[in-house]
Amino acid sequence: MMKKGARRLTVDALFAAVALTIFVIELYIPSVGIPGVKLGLANIVTVTAAFLIGPWDAGAILLCRIVLGGIFSGQVMALWYSLAGGTLCWLTMLPLRRILTKKQIWVMSVIGAVAHNVGQILVALAVTRTAAILYYLPVLMVSGVLAGLFTGIAAQLAVNRLDGKIGRK
Amino acid sequence: MKTVHAIQKQEKSGRPGRFFRQLSACFLAALCLSAFFPGCASARENGASVKEPASVTVFAMDTVMDITVYGGPEGLTADAEGLIHSLEAAFSVTDPDSEIYAVNEAGGGSVGADTEVLLLDALTLSERTGGTLDCTIYPVLRAWGFTAGDYRIPSAEELDALLPLVDWRSVELKDGHVSLEQGQMLDLGAVAKGYTGDRLIELFRSAGVTSALVNLGGNVQTLGTKPDGSLWRVAVADPFGEGYAGVVETADRAVVTSGGYERYFEEDGRIYRHILDPESGIPVDNGLVSVTVVGKSGVLCDGLSTALFVMGEKKAADFWRGADDFDAILLTEDGRILVTEGLERIFSPAGNWRDAPVTVIRHGEN
Amino acid sequence: MVKTKTWVFLIAGFLLVFLAAGAILCTRPAPGTVANIYRDGVVVRSVDLSLVTEPYEFTLTDARGSNVVRVEPGRIAVIGADCPDKVCVEAGWRSDSASPIVCLPHRLVIRIERDAAVGSADVPDTVSR
Repeated sequence: MMKKGARRLTVDALFAAVALTIFVIELYIPSVGIPGVKLGLANIVTVTAAFLIGPWDAGAILLCRIVLGGIFSGQVMALWYSLAGGTLCWLTMLPLRRILTKKQIWVMSVIGAVAHNVGQILVALAVTRTAAILYYLPVLMVSGVLAGLFTGIAAQLAVNRLDGKIGRK
Repeated sequence: MKTVHAIQKQEKSGRPGRFFRQLSACFLAALCLSAFFPGCASARENGASVKEPASVTVFAMDTVMDITVYGGPEGLTADAEGLIHSLEAAFSVTDPDSEIYAVNEAGGGSVGADTEVLLLDALTLSERTGGTLDCTIYPVLRAWGFTAGDYRIPSAEELDALLPLVDWRSVELKDGHVSLEQGQMLDLGAVAKGYTGDRLIELFRSAGVTSALVNLGGNVQTLGTKPDGSLWRVAVADPFGEGYAGVVETADRAVVTSGGYERYFEEDGRIYRHILDPESGIPVDNGLVSVTVVGKSGVLCDGLSTALFVMGEKKAADFWRGADDFDAILLTEDGRILVTEGLERIFSPAGNWRDAPVTVIRHGEN
Repeated sequence: MVKTKTWVFLIAGFLLVFLAAGAILCTRPAPGTVANIYRDGVVVRSVDLSLVTEPYEFTLTDARGSNVVRVEPGRIAVIGADCPDKVCVEAGWRSDSASPIVCLPHRLVIRIERDAAVGSADVPDTVSR
């Protein structure tokens, strides 16, 4: 058997690579024209990882994906938005992971997506110092729930299939 | 309703270990490094968000001027305001205390450094455009009432008497001393705002500012990019209505439009615009409704926007082919857009002009 | 453990609240569009165009003359003036910050100071004319 650390590193790296791939592919999906509104497909990996390997690993994978994704896409401003969104998303995952059952993984995705968008709005508020941005909140909340549902169902399916195959010692 | 068993097991090994601290350190390092990528400069500025814009509105040169400066020392906008007023005091045609007024009254005289440079620029542009831009048009402009707003149509005899006075070649400028022919009058109005814009940009640049937007009564000049690193979006006014005909995305450039649609009068169903053809002394009516010139020099763009408007579509295109220091957008009365090659990618039609036919003027065509 | 049904209701409720909020905001003009009216560079009156429901008019007068301003939901215009050139009247309606309405003889400037956060990328920074 592989050593524990090496195994963990390999699994995390694998998840990060998958997340990054999904992220880069999503860059090619035309946006709807409203900044911040997107599917956030890479969220599938974050949620799956949070359930299968643990929140700290999920956080590392998320950070890795955001930083490398920011560099790959060349949108550095977007990197700061993603970091804020990602941090908030991850923070909600910590308590949620304890109270959600195996069949409710999609809930984490929905709440995570909403938290992610809240984080982005906060950065936008700090950067532009325009309270009018808050008018934008409903759009991002609704799109967050819908996108979160979509990625959540995908993550649910992934966990259902992968549980027991990855993440255990 | 039971929690995932695997998760609880993971809980023990899930805490951050040495491996994690190393991983985090790597990412922090990557993050710090990213701040040094060229593209990241904007993000840093934005993230810090310390560059509060300073704005000022100045009424001068018979128009309203809006100046927005991002960053720079305290009191910079006040300096800018002072500069505008001092330039206006030198260039004004109507202010009895101005240098130009004194020269016009006395048929000559000494002028300050700014007036000298501006007059030299104007004469150079007159030469370059074959007199299409003429800084001695003032007597004719006044006869039409465009200078004071008491519009009228001068008789043919009146124009014939005034036209010989319109000749930039008889203006002499030597060592800060100007001399005019009898009855000649100077009007630097076609280039004064461009020159003022250049001086303002120069002032901001020397104060270390990297982002500023100046709109002098429609003459737009930009310094650098927007604070977030994106290009300035400068609209070109729709000569027929309220909106805009298109948007130019640019940085470090002047965008100056001449149209004659701002000042005109109507008599017997005919429209007389304030841009006169120096050759005939009659308002230009050649099918163009607006000419926008984009280039590095404000004074050049200002002068050429008027000159190209006078030239008309065909001559303007030929003139551009013989030059390499500007680009232009021409809007025609029949709703067509002509853009020169250099603006092909950065100009996008908008509003009522969104679907207008666009012709790109290229080098090596005729 | 929280029942799945409870989660569904919670999320559906959240969605409904923000859908309703969005619907209310959408029926109103662009948020935060405030028209500030300056005389000699000093604000003499502010109108929050996003809060206007019924059109109304008012007149601004000083020693130099007067301008009649009309306000409608989301937009503003000068509809009458006793200045010689009437440029301010011809300027027509304004609903974004790209270019102000100016009455030079009366030193009056009407400027929309804040644009909607949504879609503001389409608004140019300034207008060359």
